[in-house]
Amino acid sequence: MIEIKNVSYSYAGAAALRDINLHIKKGEAVAFMGPNGSGKSTLLKLINGIISPDQGSYLFNNEEITHKKLGSTRFAKLLHQKIGFVFQNSDTQLFCTDVYEEIAFGPRQMGISEADVEKRVNDCLALLNIQDFKDRSPYQLSGGEKRKVAIACVLSLNPEVLVLDEPMNGLDPRTQRWLVEFIVQLNKSGKTIITSTHNLELVQEISSRAVLFDETHTIAADMPTEQLLEDIDLLKKVNLVDQYYHCHVGKDHKHFHDHNS
Amino acid sequence: MHIPDNYLSPSTCVVLAAAMIPVWAIAVKKVKEEVTKDKLPMLGICAAFSFLMMMFNVPLPGGTTGHAVGGTLIAILIGPFSACISVTISLLIQALLFGDGGVLAFGANSFNMAFVLPFLGYFIYKFIKDRVHSAKGEYIGMAIGSYAGINMAALCTAIEFGIQPLLFQNAAGQPVYSPYPLSVSIPAMTIPHILVAGVVEAIFTVAIFIFIKKVSPGTIYEGAKQKTKAVYGLVIALICLSPLGLLATGTAWGEWGADEIKNVVSGGSALGFVPEGMADGFRFEALIPDYTVAGLPDIAGYILSAVAGAAILTIVFKIISSMKREKVGSNLE
Amino acid sequence: MNSHPTEPQNMPEWLLENEEYTPLPDKDTFINKSILSLLSVLSRIKTQSAGYTSRYSANAVVKVALTLFLLIMLSLSQNSAFVLVVNVYLLAVLSLMEAKQIVPILKVSFLMAFFTFIILLPAAFWGNTYSSVMITSKVFATITAVGILSRSTRWSAITGALKRFFVPDIFILVLDITIKYIVMLGDFALSMLYALKLRSVGRNRNKYTSLSGIAGTMFITSKVMAEDMYSAMECRGFTGEYHVHSRFKFTAADAAYIMIHAGIFAAYLYLGRN
Repeated sequence: MIEIKNVSYSYAGAAALRDINLHIKKGEAVAFMGPNGSGKSTLLKLINGIISPDQGSYLFNNEEITHKKLGSTRFAKLLHQKIGFVFQNSDTQLFCTDVYEEIAFGPRQMGISEADVEKRVNDCLALLNIQDFKDRSPYQLSGGEKRKVAIACVLSLNPEVLVLDEPMNGLDPRTQRWLVEFIVQLNKSGKTIITSTHNLELVQEISSRAVLFDETHTIAADMPTEQLLEDIDLLKKVNLVDQYYHCHVGKDHKHFHDHNS
Repeated sequence: MHIPDNYLSPSTCVVLAAAMIPVWAIAVKKVKEEVTKDKLPMLGICAAFSFLMMMFNVPLPGGTTGHAVGGTLIAILIGPFSACISVTISLLIQALLFGDGGVLAFGANSFNMAFVLPFLGYFIYKFIKDRVHSAKGEYIGMAIGSYAGINMAALCTAIEFGIQPLLFQNAAGQPVYSPYPLSVSIPAMTIPHILVAGVVEAIFTVAIFIFIKKVSPGTIYEGAKQKTKAVYGLVIALICLSPLGLLATGTAWGEWGADEIKNVVSGGSALGFVPEGMADGFRFEALIPDYTVAGLPDIAGYILSAVAGAAILTIVFKIISSMKREKVGSNLE
Repeated sequence: MNSHPTEPQNMPEWLLENEEYTPLPDKDTFINKSILSLLSVLSRIKTQSAGYTSRYSANAVVKVALTLFLLIMLSLSQNSAFVLVVNVYLLAVLSLMEAKQIVPILKVSFLMAFFTFIILLPAAFWGNTYSSVMITSKVFATITAVGILSRSTRWSAITGALKRFFVPDIFILVLDITIKYIVMLGDFALSMLYALKLRSVGRNRNKYTSLSGIAGTMFITSKVMAEDMYSAMECRGFTGEYHVHSRFKFTAADAAYIMIHAGIFAAYLYLGRN
């Protein structure tokens, strides 16, 4: 579904991505990991069509996404409908006067009837459990609530792929927990999920596969998440963790509840 | 509406700058009274906001885009005196740091955009708002205020341009600065603002205000409560002056403001025309034919050409080698 | 408010199906254009803080004063030879700078000169060629001169230099804050524009509403930023007085600069004597 072939990108003279090769199939749940500045966010922007590769090619559903093609608004709009992007900073994602309008913004543009728009909005409000905020302005909400509104307003587009940039940041543990379950559910419903995260505790729950970036802006590893989390040497090598890191993954870890659902 | 340098004579620039000095002084005094020192960063931030607003491309019918100034909006949001200072600073940054032009014309631009625009706009808004007590009244006041504000600023700009050929001519009787008389500059500047830019400004102002009022009403300036009669006299006088623009005769050149030119070209529609009979219209003796320059001894002409030639070649080589370096570099990586 | 259901919810039908969607045509170039103009502004500010110090660097105060002096002379001059001399001088200065500084300066100079030329074409058509040549070449010189100043000097040095021109400290404070906030607010606005772009998947009937939503949110956020900034300043000892410290050391570069401009002044007088 998403094919990244030999992609390189630099900005202001500095390399941000070097020779990236990546293939993501429909329905996968992938996590991008790596230290700050390794290129994760840049790759997310590329996948969403905000930037185009300097070298190499990016194919989405077997169609190459080029700078030229993105110049056509129709092409760009279709891409943006199929790939939803939840920003790291929810403040910058919301620009409507109230939550209802915010969530309705996307579907309204798609020419859907107002009745269906209302249905979608109400469905999203219920899914994210933010019905009480329907008439409030996003500006007045707390960080976690804003995050939910941001997810809802992207979800209402019904994209095939959902890209989330550091979604756990700034959320209290309970909301993080809820978000994990929600992402798992979305993935089970058929959405392809790409998450960029530093959260090593929760990453294996929201992804089955992890792609590790390193400070040279290349991919250092691409393997099942649990396997990556156990390879502490590798994590240290890319400077994602220090010598005191350890994690509870795999056989020797005890859970207090059952994950098998 | 930004006036670039060299279109206005230095004396015009000085006069307008001098006119602004008392305005700035009063604004500083008022701001010090009304704004506590913890609100100081607010001025800078509003200047940043005003600056960025001018960067926004606003959609126009037909798919083209334009720019809004937002002077009246800022005056309504933070008060006219603070707005004056904020817009002034924004203009200073544009001229001096971004080098887009208007360093010497800074006084003139401030007069038009930091004084006339916000103050007129604000007082018309307040005038209407105090008489029509409803939300609708407020919005109408805002729309009319910002529309009038920007049009009056455009008119002042046109007048400043238009009087140049009258006042400043060289020995041959040719205008030294902006060559277009009032009969050209007034319609050229005011018509696009009356028809397009003013409307855009009004819509933008009201739309943003409605948004802010709904989302965070506490951030809006409450305004001084006293009514100043003198100000209303000024407002009325200025309103009476605006029909002048419509009475002026002369060919309408359409969009001749530098900003408008940019927009017209970038919007994709063709610009202007190439006048016929240009063969005999242009003489380039003023540039360097045969390495001599009128008014300079020959040897100076040679030296000048040599320096110019060397400089240009150096520049060209530097640019080419820097482009080459980039290509090589990206292959290595 | 924070009650999260623990059992999985039922996903609505539409979410489980693929969207068969063809975008309707719509003109929203304003988003891209706004993004581009913001990007250019932001990158301009961010790159200037790298601060190019070359051997030919004179003191910022000297540079600002002399640039202004040059602009005034240009504006007053009615002698095309003089404008030519200034242009050659500026080209010579440019040739001493690095390519990455030269290119952007020349881009703006040529662009502005070109537009000036176009604007003055009708006047030339009417028989007034004087203005076309004079003003166009003056514009080229003016923009180049200011461009050289702003691209070869750290902006904090330029604003600090204003102190010598009797600008009150408090103005300079606001000026410095403004520049910093153009970056911060600009980044914020840029992200919002991207967010708008990414959700512009079809026909937006309320473009003005979206754009004013962004501007409005920017304004509200700016107020919060202002308060945060003031708290930060207070925590670091700010009491309302802002002292601009400028070390003024007269160097050989300054002397050279002044002498060159004295020469230009002499040229102005000599050429304008008729």
